[in-house]
Amino acid sequence: MEITLNWYLSLSAVLFVIGVLGVLMRRNAIVILMSVELMLNAVNLTLVALSQAMGDVAGQILVFFVMAVAAAEAAIGLAIIIALFRKKVTVDVNEFHLFKY
Amino acid sequence: MVAQLLFFLLAIVAIAAALGMLIARNPVNSALWLVLNLFCIAGLYLTLNAQFIGIIQILVYAGAIMVLFLFVIMLLNLAELPRREDIDWKRGAAFILGMGVLAQLVYIVAMSFDVLPHPPAAQEAVATGSAQVLARALFTEYALPFEVIGLLLLVATIGAVMLAKRRFV
Amino acid sequence: MLTDFVPLFLMMALALGLALSLLKLHQLLGPKRPNLIKTAAYESGMDPIGTARERYSVKFYLVAMIFIVFDVEVVFLYPWAVSFRDFLAADAGLGVMMVVSFFILVLGIGLLYDIKKGGLEFE
Repeated sequence: MEITLNWYLSLSAVLFVIGVLGVLMRRNAIVILMSVELMLNAVNLTLVALSQAMGDVAGQILVFFVMAVAAAEAAIGLAIIIALFRKKVTVDVNEFHLFKY
Repeated sequence: MVAQLLFFLLAIVAIAAALGMLIARNPVNSALWLVLNLFCIAGLYLTLNAQFIGIIQILVYAGAIMVLFLFVIMLLNLAELPRREDIDWKRGAAFILGMGVLAQLVYIVAMSFDVLPHPPAAQEAVATGSAQVLARALFTEYALPFEVIGLLLLVATIGAVMLAKRRFV
Repeated sequence: MLTDFVPLFLMMALALGLALSLLKLHQLLGPKRPNLIKTAAYESGMDPIGTARERYSVKFYLVAMIFIVFDVEVVFLYPWAVSFRDFLAADAGLGVMMVVSFFILVLGIGLLYDIKKGGLEFE
């Protein structure tokens, strides 16, 4: 049996959905951010698989940009979590109802 | 034969690690499961002949981003907080929604079986993964997005310093 | 081809196996006669006070964050470094050099801001 593109796409679909479930079901804001990283990774896997299958380097360039965006997102998202933690001493998203205190 | 074995091994470990991240109670355990998952994805990049992306994956994700996550978990000392069941099983709607997304994605992948391009000859595939090939596209055709990414990183630096640099601890 | 990476995967498996087996073997093979003093946390002969899990200072976060940004910068510069001669040969060296210089300049502004705000000072 040959490992075709479909296998990679299916795997990345499964990983993406686990990330979706993490975002929807967890209460811890840090774990929610980690789930977002997982979703970004699932999409990166799709991009690399398609890039290889089509012999086009554009997909891999896009992965570069996604990684830079993920780094920026992690830095800012965690800074926001730290700022929220100072106000409420919790990272439970159920406790965060407002943008303003 | 080796390729198939490697793919299935990496795929199973990647899915198991992602599930581990989803259900681990302690955020530190979640982070470590995610690191395992990122390593597996790096291995999958190698099976796709994307060597450079695979190394970058370990360098940036496992090496830098996850360290930042662990720092913040330790900074906030979350293990010491009173902890309830973190995963919300009552949110059945969320679970159904997630399964719906999965069904859609699998349906699309299954339907497009004939449409998807077949992997090209090995020789061509090797030529897409090296740093030189990436550089040729990155600094000529994609020069503007590259500069925009530079601006994004600048904004991230300034924003994070502004948000975190007040009197705290 | 994939077979080129087989040594790499073997080495990874070997490293992982060695680390795990060494962690487990000493538990299985070593003699264990614990008592209260032996199991106490080592604190240079003093009685340990408080928890070992103190809160970290936010300084660690700032340093890690700045590290990430410059880590990504280096990742972007690496392909340029390895194909610098190719660009020169293709007569595109100067243009690419300007693209990269602007990128470094933009991130240099971020570094200057950090220094100005004291983000890198570690009292």
